[in-house]
Amino acid sequence: MNRTKILFFATLRHQAGVRSTEMDLPEGTTVHQLKQLLIERFPGLDWQVMDHCLASVNQEYCDDETPIPTGAEVAFFPPVSGGSPTIL
Amino acid sequence: MAFPLITSVTEDEIDLNTLLEAITLDSTGAAAIFTGMVRGKTSREHPHETVYLEYEAYRPMAEAKMKQVAEEIRARWPTVEGIAIVQRIGRLYPRTPTVLIACTAAHRDTGVFEAARYGIDRLKEIVPIWKKEVGPQGEAWVEGDYRPKPGE
Repeated sequence: MNRTKILFFATLRHQAGVRSTEMDLPEGTTVHQLKQLLIERFPGLDWQVMDHCLASVNQEYCDDETPIPTGAEVAFFPPVSGGSPTIL
Repeated sequence: MAFPLITSVTEDEIDLNTLLEAITLDSTGAAAIFTGMVRGKTSREHPHETVYLEYEAYRPMAEAKMKQVAEEIRARWPTVEGIAIVQRIGRLYPRTPTVLIACTAAHRDTGVFEAARYGIDRLKEIVPIWKKEVGPQGEAWVEGDYRPKPGE
């Protein structure tokens, strides 16, 4: 099995209700499959949220088809809004 | 020779003088500095007031992506010498600087203005930092609209 650390930031942290979790994933699990597992585990997450958010694997942007390597750190978060203030 | 590069996500005050000194060389005669601060009153588009902004970062990835922004600047403007990219996080009140991008070069007509502009625009696209705006009417997370490609 493949121990994977999962992080949530900003709105995703609120919706999941936690900052991070760990899961044992079968080898070759994709980001899309992990999203499904997270939706089953966290009632605040759904496909609308998970399809809209960005994801990274080992701190690189990825897409749904990206396979998760052993011992990876995966993060889910909204499109970024750093820098200085924007118009709301 | 490697040119100076500073990338940082910090909870501390942004110290412009120290950063500028760190990216100043004997060969540099110009610096373009962009800094953004918390705006208390917004009048454009949707006028509103801001009590404070709360910034959050995915720190190791944010610092890695800041280094990537610096590499992109160097690839586009090889004349740029020193680069500093700093984002302050945590709860920040109006008038407080939150971000700073500074580029130095030999002369001002080398693209330093454009390089600093590119730096702040790119930071807002790929560096994983978010802000929650808190105002008299409540609070809301601010979301960007850029979706980076895999590996970007």
